[in-house]
Parts: sequence; structure tokens; C-alpha cells
Amino acid sequence: MLTEGVMAFLDQAAKDARIELPDRNSSLFLSGVLDSFTLVDFVTLLESECNVKIDDADLRPENFDTIAKVEEFIRRA
Amino acid sequence: MSCFITGYGSALPERVVTNAEIASVLGVTGDWIEANSGIRERRWVDADQATSDLAVAAVRDALSDSGTRAEDVDYLIACTLSPDYQIPGLAPIVQHKLEGCRFIPAVDLRAGCAAILYSLQLARSLIESRAASTIVCFGAEAQSKGLDLHPRSADLSMLFGDGAGAVVVSGEPKLTDKAREYLLRIDDILIETDGSFAEDLIVRAPGTANGARWLDESNLDLRMHFGSMQGRNVILQAVRKLSDAADRILARNGLSSDQVDLVIPHQANANLIATLARKLCIAPNRIVMNVDRLGNTSGASAFLALSQAHRDGKIRPGSRLLILAFGAGFTWGAALARAC
Repeated sequence: MLTEGVMAFLDQAAKDARIELPDRNSSLFLSGVLDSFTLVDFVTLLESECNVKIDDADLRPENFDTIAKVEEFIRRA
Repeated sequence: MSCFITGYGSALPERVVTNAEIASVLGVTGDWIEANSGIRERRWVDADQATSDLAVAAVRDALSDSGTRAEDVDYLIACTLSPDYQIPGLAPIVQHKLEGCRFIPAVDLRAGCAAILYSLQLARSLIESRAASTIVCFGAEAQSKGLDLHPRSADLSMLFGDGAGAVVVSGEPKLTDKAREYLLRIDDILIETDGSFAEDLIVRAPGTANGARWLDESNLDLRMHFGSMQGRNVILQAVRKLSDAADRILARNGLSSDQVDLVIPHQANANLIATLARKLCIAPNRIVMNVDRLGNTSGASAFLALSQAHRDGKIRPGSRLLILAFGAGFTWGAALARAC
């Protein structure tokens, strides 16, 4: 499970994009919740909220495409 | 031994290309281009203009600003991704076109949009080793001639503009230099490369990795001579690597970001620059921007921004500058300079 702070970020990003937050297996990019620039802020938040340092080599957008992928990525980090 | 920038120059094509002019061929709207890049217009060369034409004009402008004669230049370093020809490089063409220039070393650096930092480090090393004393570093691009003007490439083709910028780099200021209000001393340069991201921003053809020929019809059919970019990854890596490079160069010089008066970033995309500034806690009024008017001028962009800062009087005695650039490769880095 992602932290309340991370989920709050995604909820706000969805509100800003005037869409519903998609289910955990649907793309955050295709739905419009995340774009290239909100992704930068999202990754920064993930690192601080989840207390992980994401290596540059793992910093690939596909790792953050769905809530499920983010959870899996953080679990492995 | 100290190393100074003693002259600044720039050259732009006359033709202004607005978002409205390219939006329909790219299958987007002008507002979409501006929202996604901060770009409102860019300059494009005419058919009879080559990259070297812009480069020579910018170099002449920098030499004039510095009060240096072409005869006194003893090294030329060109930064470009869009040279006149595949072979030879741009720098020899500029050496030939620059009246009075002697048979000096003239070399191209292919370090993407970060090439300004590589050129300044090379210039500084040449001066410190006494291999040269007056060097012109310049960035020049005519990327518009290589764009895929089609909706499939809208996110890339909307970005690029043409132009050239140049600086004169010297070891020991001349008497004429001392009459200037300030000289810009290059204090530190940090540059890095990570080739594992080479395919995220690439023009594949012509290239020897393409099979038996470095360019054939199949390459053209597959549009391998046009650029391709993994945009999200470029932005994610650019912000991460540039903020890290800035933090490290400031730390090793005992500085913090609030002691930087002006940031000269590569003008990739206004949204990227704003995101980077937010991460570095640098106010927008301390960032030199031209991407809104000139688009992304690749290897020329930071040279043009530096020249613009000088021309607009933003560099004052004592000003501390942070130059940041990121490009294909990936290559990236930071430089610190002080007006004194």
C-alpha cells in the first residue's frame, strides 16, 4: 500500500486534471493523472514519503505507470 | 591560472516561425505547444543558410565584443548537432570563413546540448596547459532542416529553433579587456556522461550501427534520419541529474543556491526549467530564459542565453553564475563563473 501522502498527491493530480483517479492497474499517464513534469514531483515525493533512494538506472517512467507498479517498485526498493 | 570569458556573440536567422505556423502540420494547436513547452515562436534558417553562416556571424560578434582580432585566435571549438556536412566538421568551415583566422586547431565537440560545458572545460584546460591563450567556443544549430514535420513527431519537432552563440575565452586579460566593466572568470566545471541512455534521445542515421550502409533507403523508410525522444525519461533524468550536478558543484565550492545571482540553463523546455528551478529553490527572476522566443536551440542555447544575459546587463561585477546543461548521451553538467 502506498502512504496517505502519496495517495493524496495522486488524488490532487487527478483533481487538477479533472478526472477520476484510475484503478490500481490502469495507466496514470494515459489517464492524464501524471505527465512528464508531475512525474518529477511524484518521484521526489515517493523518495521522501517512502524513505527510499531511487537509483538513476531505475528511474524509468514505466516503473511508475500504475499504482500497482509503484507499489511493487517501492516494495523492491 | 585563471580563465576568463572576455567576449559574447550571437546570431539568429531572420525568419520567425510562430506556433500557429507549425501547429497544423504537427496536428496540434499553438496553445498546446505553448502549454507543453513554453515556446511561442522560434527562428528557422532559410534554405540557402547553413549552420556555419550563423556560427561565423556569432563568432565575429563575440570577437568584436572582446576587441580581439581573428588573427589572434589560436583555437576554435564548435558545439553542434547539425553541422553543414557529415564530414568535415563545422569548426574547419568556420575557420575558413572567418577572414584573418590562421591555420589554428579547429575541432567539433559532439556532446549534445551540454557541449557548452565540455567546450569551456577544454578551453580552460588548453589555457592552463599553455597550449592556447585565446579560444573561441561557439554553439551553432540549424536543426530546423532535420525536423520530421508530421504529427507523429509533434512532441519533438515543436521544440527546435536555429541560432548561434559564441564566447571568447582568454587566460590573461588584455589591456582592452581591462576597460570592460567586468570579466567572467570560470571557476569550476563539472561534466558527466551516462551512455546507457543513448537511445532515449537519438538520430540513428546516418550511422555505422545501421547495417551494411550508414544510410540507405530502408533507413529513410523507417525515418531513422529523424530524431526520436523518450520525452518522459529525458525530463525525469534531466531534472534529477541537473539538480544533483548543481548541488555538488555548489557544495564543493562552499556555496548554496541562494548565493547564485544568475542561472544560465540549456533552454530545452520552459516547464523543465521551471521544475528544475523549483527543486533548486531558485527564483524565476534569477533564471535567464529565451526558450519562449527562440525555442530549443540545442548546442547553441546556453551560449545564446549567456550572450543575452551580457547584452541585457544582467551580469554585474560580482555576479555569480551557474550554467546548467543536459543533452543526448546523456551528457550533463554544471559550471560556476564569477564576474570580476
